[in-house]
Amino acid sequence: MELQRNLDAIRQQGLGLAAISYDSVAVLKNFTDRQHIMFPLLSDPGSQIIRAFDILNETVGPGTAFYGIPNPGTYVIDPQGRVVSKHFEDDYRERVSATDILIQDFGQSADAAREVAETKHLRLTTTASTPVARPGHRVVLSLEIDLKPNMHVYAPGVQGYIPIEWKLEEGAVGKWQPVAYPVSEMLHLEAIGETVPVYRGRVIIKREITFGQEAALTPLVNPADELTLKGSFRYQACDDRVCYLPQVVPLEWHFHFEGLDRARVPADLQRKVQ
Amino acid sequence: MLAIAVLDGQNIKTGPAVGSPVPDFSAQDQEGRRQTLKSVSGRKGTMLVFFRSADW
Repeated sequence: MELQRNLDAIRQQGLGLAAISYDSVAVLKNFTDRQHIMFPLLSDPGSQIIRAFDILNETVGPGTAFYGIPNPGTYVIDPQGRVVSKHFEDDYRERVSATDILIQDFGQSADAAREVAETKHLRLTTTASTPVARPGHRVVLSLEIDLKPNMHVYAPGVQGYIPIEWKLEEGAVGKWQPVAYPVSEMLHLEAIGETVPVYRGRVIIKREITFGQEAALTPLVNPADELTLKGSFRYQACDDRVCYLPQVVPLEWHFHFEGLDRARVPADLQRKVQ
Repeated sequence: MLAIAVLDGQNIKTGPAVGSPVPDFSAQDQEGRRQTLKSVSGRKGTMLVFFRSADW
């Protein structure tokens, strides 16, 4: 479970973690034993707390098994009991994860994956906002480029040189947003009397993906439950004297795949229609 | 107020506004222990998650 996996990261921020649902204590106990939960799950079988917070889901009416569920969301609450931030979703397939909240509220990248590749001209670090891929979840992939001293690479839109290009094997893995390249700087090259858009120092490029549904992802997952996104980074580096041959560096982002929890509690514990 | 208006644009109720107090509550946890906002809070506060169900 995603919250359990991030429990240490949440506690490192000095926060306690608790999760509330309309489930009975018996259902929560069963879930805890199956999923090895180490934080309090609170039982609100009559949905009184959900109503007190005024987040009863009004799209399900009385007489159905799901009556009494909340609009799912997360509050960060200060020690005085006031809301610091809140995170709600409008589509149950696009869940806000604890990792997203930690990054947004605390700038902490939880337990995100990190890999490094190095060439003569630069160092590439691939990271993701979460190490876990789940159906319907959003993840931001980052590519950090650290150029070596005196090196520059060309920004998209440059004339006469090869700009940097980040490619990903998009396939059927999900819905991709365009690559977000940062603003470049204009560099005047004395030797040739040209001014061109370049990057120097550290550059971070981001791209967001919303993973597809479970049926689309399952065929891409290996037996060890790993999902790998592959791509490449193409660049031509120059220093103040020479330009080097264009390079293509293969890149990978590795995720642990986590499907939806399909197991149910025994029939006698299941919630009856109210 | 702007942030709240954006959330309301999703047409779902999201409860107490940022900066407002949340209701006190008391509930049993999975071990049958009585818990309150205070008892689950850490030094700097609480991440309180409302989820649909542990069983579907």
